[in-house]
Amino acid sequence: MNVSSAAVRACGLVKTHGQGQSRVRAVDEVDLEVPQGQMLAVMGPSGCGKSTLLHLLGGLERATGGEVWVAGRRIDTLSERALARLRRRSVGFVFQAFHLVEELSAAENVELAALLAGRSRRQARRRAGLLLERVGLADRARHLPSQLSGGQRQRVAIARALVNEPLVVLADEPTGNLDTAGTLDVLRIFEELRSAGQTLLIVTHDERVAATADRLISMRDGMFVDDTRLAGAHPRGLGGLIGLEG
Amino acid sequence: MGSIVLVMRLVLADVRRHQVQAVMLLLAVTVATATMALGLSLRGVSDALYEQTRAATAGPDVVAVSGDTGPGVTSALASLAKDPEVVAHHGPYRIVYANLTTRDSTSSPVVVHGFAETPGTVNRPLVTSGHWVRPGGAVVERGFATALGVGVGDRVTIAGRSYPVVGIAVTAATSIYPWAAQIGPGGGPSDYTGLAWMTTSDARTLASSQDLPVTSALDLKLRDPAATEAFREAHRGSTIRINFHSWQFKAVQDMVILRNSQPILVIGSWLLSFLAITGVAALAAGRAVEQTRRAGLLKAVGATPGLIATVLLTEYLALALAGDALGLVIARLTAPAIASPTASRIGDAAGLTGATVAAATVLAVAVAVLSTLRPTLRAVRTATVTALTATAHQPRHRPWLTALSALLPTPLLLGLRLTARRPGRAVLQACSTATTVIAIITLLALYAQPERGYGLHGSSALPNLRGEHDRRLMLAVTILLITLAVVNTITFTWTTAIEARANMAIARTLGATPGQISAGLSAAQLLPALPGAIVGIPMGIAVFWIFGARNATAPPFSWMSGAALAILLATAALTALPARLAARRPVAQALSAETA
Repeated sequence: MNVSSAAVRACGLVKTHGQGQSRVRAVDEVDLEVPQGQMLAVMGPSGCGKSTLLHLLGGLERATGGEVWVAGRRIDTLSERALARLRRRSVGFVFQAFHLVEELSAAENVELAALLAGRSRRQARRRAGLLLERVGLADRARHLPSQLSGGQRQRVAIARALVNEPLVVLADEPTGNLDTAGTLDVLRIFEELRSAGQTLLIVTHDERVAATADRLISMRDGMFVDDTRLAGAHPRGLGGLIGLEG
Repeated sequence: MGSIVLVMRLVLADVRRHQVQAVMLLLAVTVATATMALGLSLRGVSDALYEQTRAATAGPDVVAVSGDTGPGVTSALASLAKDPEVVAHHGPYRIVYANLTTRDSTSSPVVVHGFAETPGTVNRPLVTSGHWVRPGGAVVERGFATALGVGVGDRVTIAGRSYPVVGIAVTAATSIYPWAAQIGPGGGPSDYTGLAWMTTSDARTLASSQDLPVTSALDLKLRDPAATEAFREAHRGSTIRINFHSWQFKAVQDMVILRNSQPILVIGSWLLSFLAITGVAALAAGRAVEQTRRAGLLKAVGATPGLIATVLLTEYLALALAGDALGLVIARLTAPAIASPTASRIGDAAGLTGATVAAATVLAVAVAVLSTLRPTLRAVRTATVTALTATAHQPRHRPWLTALSALLPTPLLLGLRLTARRPGRAVLQACSTATTVIAIITLLALYAQPERGYGLHGSSALPNLRGEHDRRLMLAVTILLITLAVVNTITFTWTTAIEARANMAIARTLGATPGQISAGLSAAQLLPALPGAIVGIPMGIAVFWIFGARNATAPPFSWMSGAALAILLATAALTALPARLAARRPVAQALSAETA
């Protein structure tokens, strides 16, 4: 696969924390290519470097070594300002803790990302409305995060991640704080996104979530120990796959 | 005993962990209490200096001065000395009105007192350098000499005649420079005037050579020094016009030069206290979550609410009282210089009065309690488990403001939303800015006043000491206010940045640049500072009109608007550094800290 067709590419990626005796290689010489439209799951035990990898790919952390390419552009050498612009256009984040702005309503949270990307208020509002409808929360647009369930909050976060039509969505334990119903809601949305050709990179502990991906990478001690092609969406649907339907 | 030791250990541990905040509280309280103590003690210090000068110079209880001359006047004055209430006297002596010019051509009106070469028992001017009058030589009053810049050995020209300065002296028989002429020639009004002494014969020669105006005076020592008013009343019916100047009147006259000093210092101390409260309150609010968690921890190990409140309040109270003590020491040391802007008086200031110490201490305690009571009560009242998991203050949803900010560029969008998160702090920031503007407008107003110098015909060759003293004091108070305002602005910005770090990190993940975050944090301080600066201009004018002279003129609008603009620019510059530092924090680290 050539560089230009990969949505995300990492080459010899290294990230170390600490110094001297306490120096830890959180990500250790990782090579990765995620083609456009692929749904990739990364699994591994706590502290194996999954979240750090995600942060490096999204430009939230600086690599100690190696290269990171997003949308055919090398990003590990970019300034913070250029990285911020790249995130606006090309990367959407979904976090385990949702990270919604508590004093803003669901719609306002989604609009915020569009406004920061330079869209007009009218455009931002229209996009937010469309996306909240897409994630099934049109009737909750004016609710504050504290008035929503965990699953609903995560759906708002996904809508926010999608508002600028990013090339890739990076999700860090998106179902880690959710109950079964919430998990199912989120996975349904991811499945729709995958079907629509959205590139997704999901870090997860949950094998059932990983099973919905096109590809599964296992990590241990900062390194990739397995890289498996999966069948993608389960023919019986997500509920059947992850045992959430009766 | 065990509880006291525990409280002290906990307080010391917390102070060690938050040294910058401790120093800030200490400094804020120190400047506020020092300024207040100075303002409140000026009168007492001025009186004390007069008393000490009076004691050292055998100052008269009453000085009888007549604007008329001739044998009748001399006889009328001499008859006063025979009053049974008079136990000693000096005079009558001649007072000659002339002009004095120094070698560098500085000229001033002067009154020359003709004295014996050997001073009597009443009104014995204290020679502070050189020696007492001798034929052909003049002694210059110390306040006057200081203003002229002359010393022993210099020559001065009085009414065209050159005299060597043979001595410098002080006296309590006249008011301080430049009010040495107690009445003008012929009993009329007097101009700003200095004092010099010559021998009786030299004074006579001086007066006759140029046909200069002359008046006569008599210094009297009464049996009862306090009975000056009764003495004056007893001699009211005299056919010859005689003015009686009591020692009490002179003590009050000494305060004329300090007329504006007291309001400058006292109002300045209020403004400084206000800034101290706002700054410390912002600090305390910034630490509220940490304090609540600490209270929860203490409760979990068995501490009572009372003990927790004691621990939390003791830290601020102890620091405030230390600042109070420091402020009182500073006030005690600087009071003589501030209470005596001329060199016409001698002595040391008496210690601060109990009332002054009490007022300053109440102020210090008020600063500590007002700024910390709310977070302390919240920490004490919060249930243990809730306290252990306390999170940052959750702002209210403000849909109209969110919609409005959506129309603005990103830095203003972020700034407005940050301002809206903490409206109380925005008000404090506005008040802090208004306070600074008030001080600067008042300072500008002082500089804008037309002023008569003490030189001949109002020449500014001898500057107006009262005006200079007022401006110096106002400048000092303004510098202190600006210093506290600067510290407050940095504190506000940093506290805002710390509290909003999660939201700012989210904004970063959504594509906001560090520059936009930094500009947003600065804008969050500038947005409330703007109305504060605008409101501060009329408030500054109002303060000056209330406490200034009736004929005072406001400074030009261009000065005031320029000052307000400069303050806003300075605020922007000051917020830039903490905002930039806060914006540089790695996003992933900030997000992880939030979920930890």
